[in-house]
Amino acid sequence: MTETVLIQLAGIILFLPLLGFIVTLLLGKKIKLIYNFENAIIIIAFSLSVVLAFIKLSYYPQNTVVGEFQWINLGNLPVLGPVSIDLGIMVDNIAALMIIVVSLISMLVHIFSIAYMKGDKRYNRYFAYLGIFTFSMNGIVFTHNILMMYIFWELVGLSSYLLIGFWYEKKSASDAGKKAFIVNRVGDLGMFSGILILFYTYHTFTFDKIFQQIGMGHIPFNSEFWLTVTGILIFCGAIGKSAQFPLHVWLPDAMEGPTPVSALIHAATMVAAGVYLVIRVFPILSGGALFFIAIIGALSAFIPATIALTQNDIKKVLAYSTISQLGYMILSLGVGAYSFAFFHLITHAFFKALLFLGSGSVIHAMHHEQDIRKMGGLRKKMPITYATFLIASLAISGIPLTSGFLSKDGILAGTFAFGSLTGNWFFAAVGFLVALLTAFYMFRLVILTFHGEPRDKEKYDHAHESPFVMAMPLVVLAALSIFIWYTPNPFNPEQGPLLSQWIKAPVIYTPQDARYPFMRSDAAPKELGQTAQANNEEVVFSETYTEAMHNAHVPAMLLSLFVAGLGLLFAFLFYQWKKLNPDKLAEKIKPLYNLSLNKWYFDEIYDATFVALTLGISRLFAWIDAHIIDGIVDGSASLTRYISSFSGKFDNVVVDGLVNSTAYFSGFVGLVFRRIQTGKVQTYIVLVVFSLVIILFLFKSF
Amino acid sequence: MNTYNLNYLVNSLYLIKPEITISIAIVILVLVDLIMDKNKKLLPFVSMIGLVVAGYFIVDQFSTNSFAFNTGSSTGMLVIDPFGNFFKLLIVLASAFIILFSVSSKEIKENLERHGEYFTLIFGMILGMMFMVSSADLIVIYLSLELVSLSSYILAGFTKQTLRNSEASLKYVIYGGISSGIMLFGISIIYGITGSTNLYEINSLIQSPQIQNLTFFLAGILIFVGIGYKISAAPFHFWTPDVYEGAPIPITAFLSIASKAAGFALLIRFIKITFIKSVDPEGFWHLLGIIDWKSFIIVISILTMTLGNFAALWQNNMKRLLAYSSIAHAGYLLLGLAVMSNEGIAAIIIYFAIYAFMNLGAFLVVMLIANKTGSEELDDYKGLGYSTPFLGVALAIFLVSLTGLPPTAGFIGKLYIFIALVDAKMIVVAVIALLNTVVSLYYYIRVLKHMFLDRPEKEAPAFSISAAAVALVVVMLTPVLVFGVYFTPLVDLAKNSVALMGF
Repeated sequence: MTETVLIQLAGIILFLPLLGFIVTLLLGKKIKLIYNFENAIIIIAFSLSVVLAFIKLSYYPQNTVVGEFQWINLGNLPVLGPVSIDLGIMVDNIAALMIIVVSLISMLVHIFSIAYMKGDKRYNRYFAYLGIFTFSMNGIVFTHNILMMYIFWELVGLSSYLLIGFWYEKKSASDAGKKAFIVNRVGDLGMFSGILILFYTYHTFTFDKIFQQIGMGHIPFNSEFWLTVTGILIFCGAIGKSAQFPLHVWLPDAMEGPTPVSALIHAATMVAAGVYLVIRVFPILSGGALFFIAIIGALSAFIPATIALTQNDIKKVLAYSTISQLGYMILSLGVGAYSFAFFHLITHAFFKALLFLGSGSVIHAMHHEQDIRKMGGLRKKMPITYATFLIASLAISGIPLTSGFLSKDGILAGTFAFGSLTGNWFFAAVGFLVALLTAFYMFRLVILTFHGEPRDKEKYDHAHESPFVMAMPLVVLAALSIFIWYTPNPFNPEQGPLLSQWIKAPVIYTPQDARYPFMRSDAAPKELGQTAQANNEEVVFSETYTEAMHNAHVPAMLLSLFVAGLGLLFAFLFYQWKKLNPDKLAEKIKPLYNLSLNKWYFDEIYDATFVALTLGISRLFAWIDAHIIDGIVDGSASLTRYISSFSGKFDNVVVDGLVNSTAYFSGFVGLVFRRIQTGKVQTYIVLVVFSLVIILFLFKSF
Repeated sequence: MNTYNLNYLVNSLYLIKPEITISIAIVILVLVDLIMDKNKKLLPFVSMIGLVVAGYFIVDQFSTNSFAFNTGSSTGMLVIDPFGNFFKLLIVLASAFIILFSVSSKEIKENLERHGEYFTLIFGMILGMMFMVSSADLIVIYLSLELVSLSSYILAGFTKQTLRNSEASLKYVIYGGISSGIMLFGISIIYGITGSTNLYEINSLIQSPQIQNLTFFLAGILIFVGIGYKISAAPFHFWTPDVYEGAPIPITAFLSIASKAAGFALLIRFIKITFIKSVDPEGFWHLLGIIDWKSFIIVISILTMTLGNFAALWQNNMKRLLAYSSIAHAGYLLLGLAVMSNEGIAAIIIYFAIYAFMNLGAFLVVMLIANKTGSEELDDYKGLGYSTPFLGVALAIFLVSLTGLPPTAGFIGKLYIFIALVDAKMIVVAVIALLNTVVSLYYYIRVLKHMFLDRPEKEAPAFSISAAAVALVVVMLTPVLVFGVYFTPLVDLAKNSVALMGF
């Protein structure tokens, strides 16, 4: 077994779903059962992913395996210098873990969809789209350079667009697709600019080569400011794709797509791609860029959490919760808690996919009713859905024994440590506040949907537990939301192999001055200074930070338990036991309630500003077109007519004579040209000899 | 001068294994045709085997650098070098496709009883072309050129029942005869001046300043006429539209790829070997001042591409359109030579490798359509994109590639030609070529318009295509699309193939 096996495996896993897409798309209309081919492909891809991750994590846990080839070599170009572009596959621990998450959830969603989408008129096409999505996502996971990242980035954008607008007959769905695509484009523009800066500076797209050069002190335009700018620009891509503030507005609308799609793309995998991108470029992010990322993450965690409090559409609540959780990951990266960001990405992928599939199961049972005010009491009708949904809700709220508790606690400890090191407690405060809100809105959702008395009797009577193919993915995902897969100790994630062996914080290449003060290699306290010095560049987080994380672990855990419990308590007080009346509270804080209900008016603000501006500009141009340019054209036309009528007489007499003679001349030339290719071989030969003489005459240089 | 003896010949034989293979294949083809009187099914198989074996030998000796059939201590009649081997490989590849085309061509199938001579003559052409690309001696050049020409005259008139076919053949004979006469005149002058027919010896002889410039200039141009006729460079192209239109489609395709490739290889070798003074480290050639080849080739190439493109604008027959398009492409290719550098030669090689696939592909689709509709008129293509979407889309891709638009391979071919031009600071020429490309867009896209936008007067009958034909089209399409996005191996191959023996 060699490392090339890994590359081959990765290549197969990458391209299998593409094969599934092509076959399913092309034969979709002819063969009704072709979707089974796509499903088989995904199951094979998942099995291979398990093999790949097993080999990688157990045999080569320390190595990064790279397979690359030269795609384009344009040689030494003027201005740019030597230009060659490599493409390649990189399998490191992060990629190996990520591919398991992606292909497992993709497989479960495929299976779930078999029943959920039954009877759809574009059934096969739906599976084809899932195939191209999986292909693109795998590409993001395995890429070893930022150009391929960008290519697949756009491909997931495309497949997301196709799937959001899958029911394109519905105007809201096709609008949502367009919105997602366009809003993402804004972020991608920033990312593309960042990539161009990198390529201009380093003449390569490969992550590793860029890192090495930055490690050697070669930074864009020789300025740390530009390094920060580059980091922020690339992060713009993540803002778009991970629906971070201020570009988060597309994700709630994206819920117009089929619910399994929301689970796969808009909760578990694609939106996590932004986090994955930041993880990939983490080694070159300067302190300034990280601080920016932390702020965006904090805002994205907080604002949607407040919006989720008042939403009544089951999927919208989950959508805002997704943004909020992604904000957590981004925040975690921003404060330097790298491992926990990725850990939360994994755990969140499972429990959020579970929540969405669970909501899909509910929606399926309620005949496409999504309003939680019309649900209630479904616990008895749908025990499996209820149990699994409850587990996921516990996980996302951060209740012990779940996976979410472990990862969220780590993130909170990270913000806590950041506060203790820098004195900036803002991020910690936001983190704990959001934890409170999360527990509250999740249990509001659970109680309103499953507990109490049914509020829509008719729909309730028709509700039923979902079939096996839909229940099975729920159970699998619920199992994965339990702590045991990640660590044997439900209160300390670092005892499991995941955090202690597999997810390793990377070597940081940013110049010392550009880092957070506590991340500098020489920032360690005196007694630890020597080890830190000895390792020099190899030091990832200074010992200071590790130390602070350890100190923060217990207080953060206790505090997070407290706030989660508080949120839970309030949820039960308001909705289960009805001790408090939510309507009265809403009445009391009317402005805040409206702000939340109307999603902080983001859509309205954007409509009034950016959209209006764009439309205004285009209207301005249209007006210029219609009045000024057309006016000029019309004016010149009437002028021309005037002149022409004037000159008509002149024309008839003088010009016609000239024109006619020109026409005769053209006719003559045409005749000559036609004559050239007469088909008479004698003419040809004369012409050859004739031209030969001319050539001899022309080129006689003496 | 060495005395010739048998040993001398035998010692060189191992260098011409591909040519020997082709010769043996000719003999076997004749024998098979004689023995299996009625059954002609075996002939294509024999041909393919011959080509595969020849191809193997070419690959086997790809990087050899040696003279064969030495006439002096340091020169020989033939040169075996990577440059020649690349073109031999291209010829063998194109020939293999032509064999496959012929098998599925209705025109050819209708003349089943004469299949023996058909394949034999194709192999005669292949043999001639192989000698053409590796000849370093004016006599060998002339003989091989004649071998190619004579075989192609007959092939062009193979379907002799139709009038246009016989006419094409006759025109070809007369025109070709005159051209080779002119060329022979030039050869005789050179022999008269230098007393040698070997390009390398001529090169060392004319380094001295006493050479009679005017006569030598005349001779050089006269020889160019002979080669210019083979590559259909204006103003020696007149035969091309008539013959391309009249000949059976597989033969048209063959003439437009293989014999053009052989002609280019010969032209490059003739100019570089005969007139070279030195090659500087950056790969630019410095030629002797007897003939201003650079400006001459530039003028010829601009004339060729402009004439080809503009004449193509008004064609309503697909074969004629592709004939003019192939003249225009000869113009672009000549630009690669006009750069007079190794980079330019690499660009030509890249272009040819791509051109072979896209042009053969276009002819293949035209042939498949003609098989069913019996017409090559553009008006009969109306609505084809909907009645037979596979052929419509395939032809669209080939034509887009011929125009030179990304992401097809045609773009890469043009890109490298333009890079070479820009590197040589020939910006004006590059701009003219670019404008020509714009003109060519019109007539290529006009075909697409007919296929996809125009409604046919009567409902176009949908026709089925055999699986073998589909496979063949896909084989042509794949490189056109793949080389459009991943062309590094092609570029590497070209860079390894620019080496001419001695320079």
